Amino acid sequence: MIRIPAYLEIAQWALLAALALLVIAAFRQLGRMIAGQAAPQELGPPVGSSAAPLAYARPGDETVRRLTPGDGRPVLLAFADPTCPSCEQLVGVLGALQAAGELDGLRVLVLISDPPSYLAISEVFSSTGVEVGRPVRRDGLDSYRASATPVLVAIDAAGVVRAAGSVVREPQVRAFAQACLLPPPEAELAISAADTKGERAP
Amino acid sequence: MITVGLCCKAAVAVLLLAAGGAKLADLTGFGATVGLFMPAALRRRGPSTGGGPAPGLLRGGAAAIAAGEIALGAASLSSPLLGWLNVAVLATAGCFLAVGVIGYLRYPGRPCRCFGALSRRSFGPAGIGRAALIAAAAAVAVLPVRPSLLGLAAADRIGLAAGGLLVAAACAVAAGAMSGAGPARPAGGARWAR
Repeated sequence: MIRIPAYLEIAQWALLAALALLVIAAFRQLGRMIAGQAAPQELGPPVGSSAAPLAYARPGDETVRRLTPGDGRPVLLAFADPTCPSCEQLVGVLGALQAAGELDGLRVLVLISDPPSYLAISEVFSSTGVEVGRPVRRDGLDSYRASATPVLVAIDAAGVVRAAGSVVREPQVRAFAQACLLPPPEAELAISAADTKGERAP
Repeated sequence: MITVGLCCKAAVAVLLLAAGGAKLADLTGFGATVGLFMPAALRRRGPSTGGGPAPGLLRGGAAAIAAGEIALGAASLSSPLLGWLNVAVLATAGCFLAVGVIGYLRYPGRPCRCFGALSRRSFGPAGIGRAALIAAAAAVAVLPVRPSLLGLAAADRIGLAAGGLLVAAACAVAAGAMSGAGPARPAGGARWAR
């Protein structure tokens, strides 16, 4: 009779358990995707709330700059990272809209959490004309609920959040930009129109 | 007690393989975490890098750590008679614990990426607890065991090493799929502040 060393038996079971856990995790993720729950639902500050001021610095520049919502200028604020493919898509759209003059009158700012050196690995981030910065303090950041990237926040001239969410496509970004400029009822109509076209990111 | 020790040894080895494989799939993301723990000299800001270490350096460091974990896990799993490997695994587990504590003290809330994209956990007390548990298991595995229980034939060793690499590859595939899936990439709640 062949005698199997105790360690071999245990090690085999450990490997089997690891593979079993992976299969369970894969099916769990598949179930979430089928149920449409793959993306977090609660991203960005609540619509109608006051946007908090933020302090940030541009890459390679220690000067602390301030974003002060409600200073009379609407803001399109994006939380995005160079290591996130969807963020590149959003920043690319923002850059294209800005170059086309569609974001005139808005202050457009992209905040990253990755190290500034990572901007170099993303062609989109390194070549975009949009202002990119990195928060230097946590004050006010939590209120933006950017627990995943990308998050786009539309803030009107009075500092009130008009739209927020994880969007990457051009029509939706354009609707967010319009929401910054329009009075509240029309802003809501612009966002819902873009939503009904199925343009919100899945 | 002997059985417990063997279980701990196998479990920690498999854990190293899974963690290493998952990290390999997202070197850029894990590199961001590596950058947090780099010596000040390497983190020196320069205009050519936009302020911070070069991405290649971070990715290289991340790849070295991930490959090291896989190599150590595979060796520990398939060569149980080599006692010094148990000490090396214990030292690695000690490093995990130190990283968990320093990460919690200096960068609370930032993503740990300890299992690449497979895990969304951040530096925190729970992470320290998990690292301490792994270190304790690695310490138990160092206890001496009768060699007769560990005597593996060459085919057994090859089989275990192959199985271990299969686990690492499966974790890499799963982590790669998760890091690219969906429009929103998970992030730690407080990772925006430096």
